Amino acid sequence: MRSIRRGFKSFRRHPVGNLIVVLLLFVCLTFSLSMLVVRLAAESQVRSIKRSVGNYGEVRVSSEYILEVFERELEKGERQRNREARSMNEEEELADRAKFHLPEEIADAFSRQEHILTYDKVMNAGIIVLNAVNSELAPLAPYATDAELARQGIEGLNRQTLSNLFVFEGNTNGASASDFLNGSKRLVEGSFYTYRDHLEKKPVVLAEKNMAEENDLGIGDTVEAVVVRGSRNNRTMELEIIGIYETVLAERDSGSILDYNPAGNKLFAPLSVVQELNSMPGYVELGSYYFDDVDSTAALKEAFEQEFAEGNRYEFLTDFSDYEKISEPLEKVGKTSLIGLAGALGACALIILLAMAIIIGGRTRELGVLKAIGATGRQVILQYAAEVTCICLVSVILATGATVLISQGIGNWLLSSSTEQKVEEKETRAYTGNYLSDRKLYKEGGLYSPASEEEEAVNLNVIYQGDLLVYGILILLGISLLGMAVPVIWITRLRPARVLSME
Amino acid sequence: MENALQVKNLSKTFKAKAGDVVAVDGVSFEARKGEVTVIVGPSGSGKTTLLYLIGSLESPDRGEIRVFGEDIATSGADLIQYRRVRVGFVFQFFNLISALTALENVTLPMDLRAVPAGEQRARAVELLERMGIDARLQRTKANRMSGGEKQRVAIARAMANDPDIILADEPTGNLDSATGRVVVDILVKLAREDGKCVIIVTHDESILEVADRAFHMMDGKLTDHNRDG
Repeated sequence: MRSIRRGFKSFRRHPVGNLIVVLLLFVCLTFSLSMLVVRLAAESQVRSIKRSVGNYGEVRVSSEYILEVFERELEKGERQRNREARSMNEEEELADRAKFHLPEEIADAFSRQEHILTYDKVMNAGIIVLNAVNSELAPLAPYATDAELARQGIEGLNRQTLSNLFVFEGNTNGASASDFLNGSKRLVEGSFYTYRDHLEKKPVVLAEKNMAEENDLGIGDTVEAVVVRGSRNNRTMELEIIGIYETVLAERDSGSILDYNPAGNKLFAPLSVVQELNSMPGYVELGSYYFDDVDSTAALKEAFEQEFAEGNRYEFLTDFSDYEKISEPLEKVGKTSLIGLAGALGACALIILLAMAIIIGGRTRELGVLKAIGATGRQVILQYAAEVTCICLVSVILATGATVLISQGIGNWLLSSSTEQKVEEKETRAYTGNYLSDRKLYKEGGLYSPASEEEEAVNLNVIYQGDLLVYGILILLGISLLGMAVPVIWITRLRPARVLSME
Repeated sequence: MENALQVKNLSKTFKAKAGDVVAVDGVSFEARKGEVTVIVGPSGSGKTTLLYLIGSLESPDRGEIRVFGEDIATSGADLIQYRRVRVGFVFQFFNLISALTALENVTLPMDLRAVPAGEQRARAVELLERMGIDARLQRTKANRMSGGEKQRVAIARAMANDPDIILADEPTGNLDSATGRVVVDILVKLAREDGKCVIIVTHDESILEVADRAFHMMDGKLTDHNRDG
C-alpha cells in the first residue's frame, strides 16, 4: 500500500514527463477507443439489420417470362389475337388471364421449405364499385377514350364507369398487408379481416378514410363490387366495410391514367374475396415469405430453382440487395475501424514502451538509491506500477471522454467514405440496369406505394454502453502491463552499486 | 569498545574486456562502535568497492564480513533487512531523490520499513534539526539545495533507521573544504556521541586527523596506515 502511495506521489512529482506520456497515450487511446466503438456499433447494426432486412422473399411470375409472352403476342398480330380470344372457352380464358399469375399451390408448397417462418399470398385487381365514386379519378374520366380504357382488360370499364374504378388488394390477413406493416397505412376505425375471413371467403373490406367520407360510407355499410367477367353473368358482390384506414404516405402517380392511384382508391379485402371478384380462383399475384435469416437466402434460392421455378416462368426475389445496400458500408466501416484499431493499439504499445524506457532510464539513480536504502524489488516494482497505472488511468479517462465526443464523427466520416464509393458503383450500374429486374417487392408496400422509391439512408448510430468502459479498462490493463514490463526488467537487472558510483 | 565489524580475507574481482580487475584483494580489518575508521587511497584503489561489499551492495567472491558476529556474506542472510537497519550510506554524489523534499528523503528509508507516518516525521525532523537543516529547508526539494545541505540531509537519511554502521564514501569529495569539515565533524559526532561505527573511505588524507583507526588502500590491498607511515 505504501509503495502504491509512493507511486502515486511520484506521478504527481514528475508532471512534465508524465504529462507528455499522458498526452501521447491520450491521442492514441482516443483513436483506439473511437475505432473500437465504431466497430462495435457497425457490428451491432449489421446484426440488428439481419433481423429486419434480407430475410424477405417473394415468388411470382418472372420478368423474363413476361417479356417472352409479350414478344410471342406481338408476333401474332392483332387479328389473330382477337380470333383466339373469341374462340376461348371459360377454362382457356382463365388460363390466359392467369398467365402472369402464380398458382396458389406453388405459393403454399414453397411455404413448407425449411427456414420459412411466415408467409402470405397477395392479389391486386381493378374492380368497379357501383355505389362509390373515386373522386380523385372522376375528373380524369372525360379525357379517357373508351378504346383506351377497353385495352386495360377490365370488363365493363368505360368513361362512365372509370369514376367507379378502385384497386382491391387481397391477402390472407388484413393486419399483415405490407402497407399496414410498414406504416404507410394505418387502421383508424373498425378491425382488420382475419385469416378465418379469408378461409370463409367473408365479403368484407377495409376502405380509405377520405374515400369513405366522400361517399358517405362507414363501418357496417356495404359497397357493391362488380365481379370481373360480370358482363357475362351480370354478377355483383356486396362487401361490408369492417375497417377504415388512413393513408400515412401519399401514393404516387405512376404515369398512366389508370395507374393514377390517389389515396382513396384502394380497398383491402380477404384474398379469397379478391380472387372471386377477379374471377381467378386458385391464383395469386405473389407469395410473400419471411425467413429466419439473410444467410438462408442461398439455400432457399437453390430449393426454388430446383423445385418451383418451372424453367424461367417463376422467380424468387429477395431483399438481399437492400440488406447489402445497408450492411456493406457498415461492414466496410467495421473492417476499416479494425485496421485503425490495430494501428492505434500498436502505436500505444510503442509509445508506452518508449516513454517508460525514457522515464525509467532517466531515473536509474533513483532506483539505485531505493535499493541501496533497503527497498525490495517488489516495493520498487509496485511503486513504478502505481505510477504507470496513474499515467494510463488518466489517459484512459481523458480518452473515454474524447471518444464520446468524436467517435460519432469518425463513424460518420468512415461511413460517408464507404457510401460515396457505393453511390459511384450504383450510378455506373444504372446505365446498364434492366428495368424489369428492379421490380418492387411487396414488402416495401402494396401496389402504388412509394416506399420502394425512397433510398433508405444508412446511418451509424454509435451508442455508448458499459461495454466502452469495460474495453477501456481492458486496454488500460493491457497497456499498463506492457508499460510495466520495461521497469520490471530494468529493476530486476539493476545493480545499485553500479549506478550509485556514477557521477 | 565492542567490535562492530570484522572483515576477513575479503576479495572481489570484476570481469572486464581487458581482463579481470582485482578490486579487493584479501582485505582484513576490524572496526568498532563509537570509533571513526578511515580508509584512504587514490582513485581506483578499490576502497568504494570495499565499502559496497560491507554494505551488501556487492557480493564478495570470498571472505567474511561479520557484523556483531553475524556473517552477512554467507548466503541466506537477510540483506534487505541488513541494508535497512544495520548500515546507513553516505555517498560522494549525495544520491538524494531530487523530486523529494529533504524531509521526504529522510522519511523514505523508514517508509520502506513501514514505520508509522507520525513516527517517521518526528524522527526525520529531529535528525534534520541535528544536522542544522531548518524547517524551511526541510520542505525544500533536494535539487534546490547546496552541496553541503544535501550531504547533511544524506547523513540524516543514513541515520533514519538508527543503523549500527555508517558507511561514508568520499563524503567531502564534492564539497569545499569548510563545508567538508562540517560534514566530517557531524560524522565524528555520530561516532562519539551516538556510538555508531563510522567508516569513511576517502582520498583526502586530512580526514585522517579524526580517525580512531586508519588504513591505506592501494591496488585492492589494505594496510594499516600507522604501520605504513
